This record gives sequence, structure tokens and C-alpha cells, in this order.
Amino acid sequence: MQLSNAKKLADMRGAYGETLVELGKSDSRIVCVGGDTTDSLKTKKFGDKFPERMFNVGIAEANLVSIAAGLAIAGKIAFASTYAAFIPGRCVDQIRNTICYPNLDVKLVVSHSGLTVGPDGASHQQIEDMSTTRAMPNMRVISPADAVSTKHLIRMVATTPGPFYVRLVRPATGLVYPESASADQFKLGRGNIIVDGSDATIIACGLMVEKAIEAADVLKRENSLSCRVVDMFTVKPIDVDLVARCAAQTGMIVTAEEHNIIGGLGSAVAEAASETNPVPIKRVGVPDMFGESARDEEVDDLLEKYGLTTKEIARAVLEVRSRIKK
Amino acid sequence: MGLNMRYLELRRKIREVRMWAIQGIAEAGSGHPGASFSAAEIMGTLYFRKMRYDPKNPDLEDRDYFINSKAHSAPGYYSTLAVAGFFPPEELKTLRKLGSRLQGHPVRHSEYQKNHSVPGVEYSGGSLGIGLSVGIGIALASRLDNKKSRVYVMIGDGEANEGQVWEASMAAAKFKLENFVAILDRNRIQQDGFAEDIMPIDPTKDKWAAFNWQVFEVDGHRVEQIMDALAKADETHDKPVMIIANTVKGNGIRHMANNPQWHGKAPSKKQLPLLLEELESEYLIAPSIIAGVRENYEEKIKLVEREGVELIHLDVMDGKFVPNSTFLADTIKKLRRVTSLPFDAHLMIEKPLDHIDEYIDARCDIVTVHAEACNENEFAQIKDKLIAAGISPGVAINPPTQFPEWLYPHLKDIDTVTVMSVNPGFSGQKFMPEVLPKMMALNKDLRERGFRGYIEADGGIDSVTLQQVYDAGARIFVAGSAVYKNSNSDIHSAIIELRHEAAVTLERKLIDHATRLGVRKEWMNARKHILIPYATRLGIKGELHAIE
Repeated sequence: MQLSNAKKLADMRGAYGETLVELGKSDSRIVCVGGDTTDSLKTKKFGDKFPERMFNVGIAEANLVSIAAGLAIAGKIAFASTYAAFIPGRCVDQIRNTICYPNLDVKLVVSHSGLTVGPDGASHQQIEDMSTTRAMPNMRVISPADAVSTKHLIRMVATTPGPFYVRLVRPATGLVYPESASADQFKLGRGNIIVDGSDATIIACGLMVEKAIEAADVLKRENSLSCRVVDMFTVKPIDVDLVARCAAQTGMIVTAEEHNIIGGLGSAVAEAASETNPVPIKRVGVPDMFGESARDEEVDDLLEKYGLTTKEIARAVLEVRSRIKK
Repeated sequence: MGLNMRYLELRRKIREVRMWAIQGIAEAGSGHPGASFSAAEIMGTLYFRKMRYDPKNPDLEDRDYFINSKAHSAPGYYSTLAVAGFFPPEELKTLRKLGSRLQGHPVRHSEYQKNHSVPGVEYSGGSLGIGLSVGIGIALASRLDNKKSRVYVMIGDGEANEGQVWEASMAAAKFKLENFVAILDRNRIQQDGFAEDIMPIDPTKDKWAAFNWQVFEVDGHRVEQIMDALAKADETHDKPVMIIANTVKGNGIRHMANNPQWHGKAPSKKQLPLLLEELESEYLIAPSIIAGVRENYEEKIKLVEREGVELIHLDVMDGKFVPNSTFLADTIKKLRRVTSLPFDAHLMIEKPLDHIDEYIDARCDIVTVHAEACNENEFAQIKDKLIAAGISPGVAINPPTQFPEWLYPHLKDIDTVTVMSVNPGFSGQKFMPEVLPKMMALNKDLRERGFRGYIEADGGIDSVTLQQVYDAGARIFVAGSAVYKNSNSDIHSAIIELRHEAAVTLERKLIDHATRLGVRKEWMNARKHILIPYATRLGIKGELHAIE
């Protein structure tokens, strides 16, 4: 798979908003429920274009997702959007009982997941969302790596029946995929090998994919290691075959996610590997602790403080290799 | 599409719902009888009278939606769906068992959940406070698609502790959802005790009004009041409607009623036949307003309405079929404005077919004609007209008349059979006891022939004869002079006395039944607070004392 110029930045939320408008044009069943964050989530564009299909329910997330469930019951494809701190943070019960249990066509697309939420601090840093949503039967969990994949994945989510949780991030991120990437590269339950390699596999999601690619590059230059990098945008259902294959072919796995190391991608990969082809694994993520405020210009320092860096991924690969050698 | 049941049919079906629900709960050994019974009339009126749907095609495009947000009322909800035709009621016996489609809390029916749900269930409930929001979503989608669908959401008063209820209340008003009706089952009891002690929600009416809803308040066990409020909801524009239905938890079984202990407890299976008998013994009191001084009918209606009677009996006499004259349809039409109580019109007139449209037009709820006043052909036409208008057809027979065989083919459509125990035409006559064996035999015979309606006792009914006709199978008691003796009669005491005698009769019957079942002591124990006021009359004072 060809890498684009990795330094071109683009906004996942913007890609979501634009795609939603396009979907709305071709499918009148698409509706959107917002919670006083429609400007931030970029769903406002959809509301401007289709005012009768946009419902802003104010700061009431339990109500928000339940209204989305009702819309789905009456035949709509309902997008429900606000910050990850509140969906699922404020309404796990409603998502479980009202959306997942009856397997409704509700698409929870949230932003501000992980630590990179700006200066708002730990109250807004949702690092448990993949853990809670992943444990719900029927729920599918998606974490796009960049704006290009966001666009395709939103389309995939809209056209695949049943509930989805899609976590986007606040900052603009480097493009992992070329703008020419095609829809068939983004299939539910299939991870993408972005960089191939044979000594180790780094499985990442979200903005950590870009860092994983950089880490592979560093390890190649400084340690002469050939690392495979996988964009595991479908955290659930995880691509078990790919995990098993990576384990067999590279003998070790490092995972990287902007999420607590408990319950997210790292756990999903470890579960898949241990039941197919157990190999040493190291999880890079938030080390089970709350984050803190940081100004936008300090975001790299914030990620460094909590171990979510290229350097940390590279160090993890080397640590696991040394473990294997002993 | 919808069932659009007639008044008496509706009552009978709601009674069946309670019977199926309690059987399911007893069989399961757990469940919520309290909430099932407080909400029986709310759900029954919606499904049997109001809502548009098709049990054979649950996905009907323009159907109305019912969201049971207080989903622990599941046994009552399932029974309502079953009686409405969505699935066989016998399935209630699998309630809450492993592998049953009847989960403890109902699950939205879909291909995906077909093994754990039944057709007709739109919403997976169980966690409280959510259904209003879901209903809003459905209402928004229906409006977007220009559908005629209306959305009805039932919530509980304990449920209104949930903050999301109030989030939803703001949203429904914001979106001006005029196709949206919430019904609050205000039974005032929740799991830990009395609702106002656990978390006060009064002044409920003011709260919903302040949240920009149109609010109506009704007695939630009076189908006519619920129907009225639902009709007003149809006419409400630009805002959602809240119907506060004041109900009694466990209503229908006296020792369960208004008793927090029965929020979520199952009765013992051994006592089940007694509970079914009590439900089957539900009766209606129908004061006849021509008794006593024959004037001021409006005032007489208001006086008995305050005493909680179920029907107003209207004796229509034309001076031809009977020698006396009272009033005709034009008077009934005027009286209709006075009350929402159902009108039980007893036409003692010649050629009833010629006048039937007038009584339909006067919005009677039950219209009874005399078997002596028509032939089969005429009766069939009368009956068809009444049914088409949603009115309960009745037939009356005079003391010397035997029930005519030509009525047998129509039994299925007859909602009430009035057995006259005086010769009609005058009020204040003495009860004719020879009618009792006739009533008893007729009740048995008609049931065997498929009659499902009520036996109505009319003529000389007082506190003594009421017991006899109750035992003989009558379930509607027309009370004339016993209620309106003269211009200053004590109507309050008169109705209390009638109800007291009915209670004694029922309790005696139930104790005898319990004795036959070998559960006399357990029954008295469960029932002791109900039995204490009748202990002397029933001769069980010592026994009750021993239980204490």
C-alpha cells in the first residue's frame, strides 16, 4: 500500500461532516442528532443542508442517543454525535439496552476521543470508550487513522446495518492514506497492512497509526529492523486472521492506541493472538491513569508525558525483542 | 385498522388481560402484578379501542406506536398484545422461563430477536426513563415521512425520578410534537414504597404544564375517561400531550391493590383459581335515573358520578311498548354533555329499529332492545348498526319471556343480556325471586353457546337482592329506587351499602372456593385486612383472630 505525504494534515471531523452531507443527498433516510456540539462535530453542515433531518437536543446525551434509537425504529439511519466524553461516557445504559440489544441502525460518531482534546483536561479525555463499547454485543467499534479513511469508513458504517461506534479525534492528523484510496480498502473487520515487515508487527488505530509508521521508519534506520505496521481501524470485530498471521510471520506484536491500555485495541489484539498464535505482546497506550490539561501547542508534550509517542512504540518493539532473546 | 372495541367488550377484554397476566406471573413465580394491573385500562384502551395497527402485519406503514417505557408491567403488556391478536394468550404460561419469547422485560421484535420477542413489541425496555426519548425519535421520523402515525408512550411515576424523562419532556415540547402522547401511570407506589416518600414528583400536573405540554388528568381505570383524553389529544396542536392517569397499583385483586408489597411479587399457584374468580366477578353498578323523583336528571347523574358508579342506566319508555313514558333520544343527547360515564340505554319502545339511529346519534355506549319488541331480522339490523357505530348491543327479556332461540346465532355479538326481574314500565316494583333460577340457567346455557357478555339484572335490585343476582351470575346491577328513593335520599350510603353487600357476597364465594381448594387458611391470611370488615357477616371472626 502506497503511503501519501505523511505530513499533510487533515481533520477527521471535517471529513465526517462532508461525508454526512453527501450521504444525506443520496439517501433520505439519513438523519442526525446533535447535542449542542454540532459546530464542533461538523454536523452543522448537514443541518444547514437538511434542516428537517437534523435534531439538536441540547446537552442531554442520554436523550440524544435514545431519540436516535427511536428514529431508527421508524426506519431512519440515525447518526448521533457529540464528544466521546459524553457518548458513550454519559449513556452506556442507553447504548446497551436501547441500541445494541435491539440491534438498531444507530451510528454513534464521536469526536474528542483520547487525550488530544485540547486544554479541557481529564474530565473530557475519554480513554475508556473502546473498552465499554467493545464489550456490548452487536456493537462494532471503529477508530479511523486519518481523514481519508474517516470518509470511507463513515460511508461503510452508513451502509452496513446495525449499531456502530466511531471514534474521531479533535486535532488534524497526518494523512496515512492517499486521497485516491478506494472504498474497498476499508472493509468492516479487516485491518490494513500499511507497511510490510518481518521482524515485528505494530498494530495501531486512530492517530497512533501515523506514529507507528514513524516508529517503523526509526527502527529501520537505527536498528535495521523490518517492522510491519497494521491500521486496525476495526477494533471490533477485530481482524483475527490478520492478527494470527502477523503473530506467525513476525513473532511479536506491539499495539498502539490513544486509549487506556485496558480494554481497547491492545486487549483486542492480545485476545485474538492468545487464542490463535500466542506471541509476546506489548501494549502502548495510556497506562491506566487519568490525563491532564495541555494547551494546543503542548499536545506533543502531553502525548509524550503519557507515553503515546513514536519513541515509545519503538522502545516497546525493542523491549519485546529483548524479551524473546532471553 | 384497529380493534375499535365497544365499551363492554373493551371491559371484558381488559378483564381477560388481567386474568392472563396473573396466570403468567403465578406460573413464572415472579413478575410485577402491581404495575400490570395499574396499567391494564391504559394499555387496553389504546390497543382495543384507540390505536391503528394490524396484528397480522405488525410492520404496517402508518401504524400507531406504543412504547411501554415502564417495561416491568410486561405481564400486562404481553397479555394485552395477546388479547389483541399478536400471539396466542396461552403463551403467557411461558413467561420469564428459559427459552421463552416472553422475556422478563419485553424485547423489540425483529428477525434478529425473533426467539426472545413477540410481534408487536416496538421497544426493548427494562432500564427506566428511556421510552419517552425513543418515542420522540419515532414521532420525529413519522412527521418527517408525513405519516399519520401517532406515538403513545406509557411511563411510570417512579420512572419519573429518572433525569432523562425531563430531558425528553423538554425535547418533545421543543419539537412541537403533536403526534405524541405520553401517559403517566400514576399509581403512587414504587419498589421501596410510596412514590411521594421515595422521591416526590408532585405537583406533577404543574411540572408537565410548565414544560410546555398539554396536560389532561383522568381516572386511569375508567376507559371512558381515557378515551376522552385520547380524543382531546387528537385535537391538540403544536404541543405534546401528557395524560396523567391516576391509578391503583394492583387494581383488580383487592388484597394486592395499593399495597407496595405486591409491586414485584408473584401469588402462589394454589391461590390462582381464587384470583381468577375474583377478576371474573368484576361487577358494574348502573343507577337508573328515572327512579325516585322523575326530574332533574342532570343533577342525579352528577350525584352518582361522585360515588364512583360505572354506568348510567337510562330507561327509555315510549308509552306504547310499556304503558308509561319517560324520555327519548333527545333527552339523552342533552344528558351526554353532563358526564363521560357510559350510558346504558334500555329501550322499552315499539319498533326499536325505526329509532335506533337516534340512540346512536345520542352517543349511548350500550343500547339494549327488548326481544319482545323485534324479530330476528330487525334485531340483526339493529345489532349491525350498533356494532358499526362502536356501541355495545344488548337484549332484554321480560320475566315471563324465555330467551328466544332466534337470538342464538347472534350471541357472539351481544354484549349484555338484561334479565328483567320486574315487569317493565314502572319503577319501584318488588323483585320477582322466581327470576333467579331462570337467570342462573340462562347464564350457564348462554355461556355454553358462546355468549361472552354480561348478564344484567334489572328490577327491584337492592342490597338484599343484589347478593342473589350476583350469585346467579349477573355482573351489571341496575339500581333504581335503592339509590334514588326520594328527593332527599342518602345516595352516598345507598351506594356504599350496595358495594358492601357485593363485597360480602364475593368474599363468601371466595372463601368457599378456597375451602374446596384446601387453601382456606392461606387465603384468609393473604386476605385478612380485606376480610376484617366483613368478619361478623361471614362468621369468620374467630378464625381471623387465630391467624392474627
